[in-house]
Amino acid sequence: MADRRRINGPPGGTRPPVFASLQESSTGVANRAQRQRQPTELRKIFLKTGLIPTASGSSYLEFEPSASLAAARSNPKSLIPPSSALKLACTVHGPKPLPRSAAFSPNLVLTTHVKYAPFAARKRKGHIRDASERDLGVHLETALRGAIIAERWPKSGLDITLTIIEAEDDRWWGDAPDSHDASWGMMNVLAGCITAASAAIADAHIDCLDLVSGGVAALVSDDSSQSASSAPRLMLDIDPAEHRSILSACVVAYMPARDEITELWLKGDSSRAALDKNDGRTGHEALIDGAVDAARGANTVLAEAVRESIARSFA
Amino acid sequence: MSSQRQASSASQVPHLSPAELSYLYTSLSLPKNPIRPDGRSPTQFRPLSAETTILPGTNGSARIGFADGTQAIVGVKAEVEKTVLAADTLDSRSLAQHGDALNREGEEGSAAVSGQGEWVQMSIEIPGFRDDDALPVFLSEMMRESLVGSVAGGDVDGAKEMAGGLKGRLVINKRWHWRLSCFSPNLSHTPSPLLSLTTHLALLSTKLPKLKSTGEEDPFFDDDWAAAEYLYPRSNTSKSSLSAAPSYPVRPPVTLLVIAVGENVIFDPNREEIAVADAVLAISPGIPNSENVNMLGATAGPGEESGGQEEVEGVWRPRRGGVKRSVIARMVKTVLGKGGVGEEVLEGLEGVEVQ
Repeated sequence: MADRRRINGPPGGTRPPVFASLQESSTGVANRAQRQRQPTELRKIFLKTGLIPTASGSSYLEFEPSASLAAARSNPKSLIPPSSALKLACTVHGPKPLPRSAAFSPNLVLTTHVKYAPFAARKRKGHIRDASERDLGVHLETALRGAIIAERWPKSGLDITLTIIEAEDDRWWGDAPDSHDASWGMMNVLAGCITAASAAIADAHIDCLDLVSGGVAALVSDDSSQSASSAPRLMLDIDPAEHRSILSACVVAYMPARDEITELWLKGDSSRAALDKNDGRTGHEALIDGAVDAARGANTVLAEAVRESIARSFA
Repeated sequence: MSSQRQASSASQVPHLSPAELSYLYTSLSLPKNPIRPDGRSPTQFRPLSAETTILPGTNGSARIGFADGTQAIVGVKAEVEKTVLAADTLDSRSLAQHGDALNREGEEGSAAVSGQGEWVQMSIEIPGFRDDDALPVFLSEMMRESLVGSVAGGDVDGAKEMAGGLKGRLVINKRWHWRLSCFSPNLSHTPSPLLSLTTHLALLSTKLPKLKSTGEEDPFFDDDWAAAEYLYPRSNTSKSSLSAAPSYPVRPPVTLLVIAVGENVIFDPNREEIAVADAVLAISPGIPNSENVNMLGATAGPGEESGGQEEVEGVWRPRRGGVKRSVIARMVKTVLGKGGVGEEVLEGLEGVEVQ
């Protein structure tokens, strides 16, 4: 499906010219982004609701830039940023009546659109949603559908639109894709989308069972080949640019008040996790628990943002 | 209109009345022994008939049909493509060695020996949906993810030539690779496990022409189709010798659909059963000897009885909320545990003769 209506940029993306002398200094091991946080420490989240006045509910979410990105911004050595931090905006339109042509629905019909801005990732995205964006939309719909009390709005529709302004990288930009490579950045984006959409739905005053928040946990083996025997470790809220090899990652959408999961997306090989001897859990259970912990952390921010939204609507 | 189309696979509720759905839910959630509409046991799969190599123009193809006429066809085409690494991908070692050679015309780095996920394409057609609607895209992404996600354990002897999984197998040399396109033109509504099984068989029957060129030459192939090699190499050992120490050859993954209704975990659900499930989980078990789970695309709670007090007996209401972690753990354990259903399915598929 080619986009014939617009004048599109080159598909491979463009980038400023980089000279070899500059690269030698910038691709050294020291310049590689390193995780400065503890394994269970989450990035700070900025979440604010009601920034888009024409929508019935809206929210804006931003992850804290990693330490290396913050350092590169204050003291730039290269034109290429070492990592990226998630930024996204969410709008909720509705509940509004379904079009006349639509079939009768006794429940609220949920529609989710996830779209990367063309400049969001290192590789330029087209104006038409591609497969990964549609896939994210379905995951997001699954995550939210269980939380919304849909039967209170028969014959109505709810449109949730997410615009990713800055996406997470799938790996460090200088690395060639290896055998464990997958779209790990998408999982972080999904977790952010879930949290932001939940805040926007609350901002639109739509009845929910609980605030759904998204969390990511991953099994990471950071060491290079010389110590390959060391088992991968469980980390919460990973930034894929900071790790050499991600073996497995998991996203959950979690409702803390009910201790229930509405969406689970786990991929990769989770069998080689380094767990305690007396830890009876298997690798994927540990991953899911880790992701739930991350989601609990995001939920505190979410609850605070919703409280602000309520205070504003009564002010 | 488009909002109606958005409905994902789990939310496709068949045309059953609330009373019928409630009856179905009650019979499926009976403790210990659920009663399924077609009389199967919870872990029993629908009987199916399969054949491979049915489409002459493809590298591999398969057809699987259920007794009720539901069937799926999958074809696999392979083409040779030039490997283009992203221009910004650098290998610092090669830079240090020959920094002046950086502006060679090719962008190929020395790290190109591992495959990329984009080399496998999957397109599924479902009648009534456009090819860019959410449901076909979601299904094909789910299938593609498990295909490219499977990485062979390096310790298995039989798996050595499949290091790096399917992605690694697609590498010809540093500059060339195979691109696999799986397509599935379907005339009727096809459940995703059936599609996954058919894709499995189609990939098993896929043959690639034998490579005559060596090393970094431009690829040149043997034009004798009889000499073509299987994409997934066959194990030479006979069946009987496997019994002592089962060494599983690398196989394409299979995605199983599992639902939880009440206390029960039910396999291979049909559309009506999915409609009343508490939780739907799609699990792609990896190769059994490493016990890895490759993908768990899970969708919870498409519909179920809500726990509210205003419930009227015998009338089904869509479910609200998600599922507990313990339920998910139980579902995963039934599939992946020792002697679980996943192992059983893979063993059963091993018995399928692919000519």
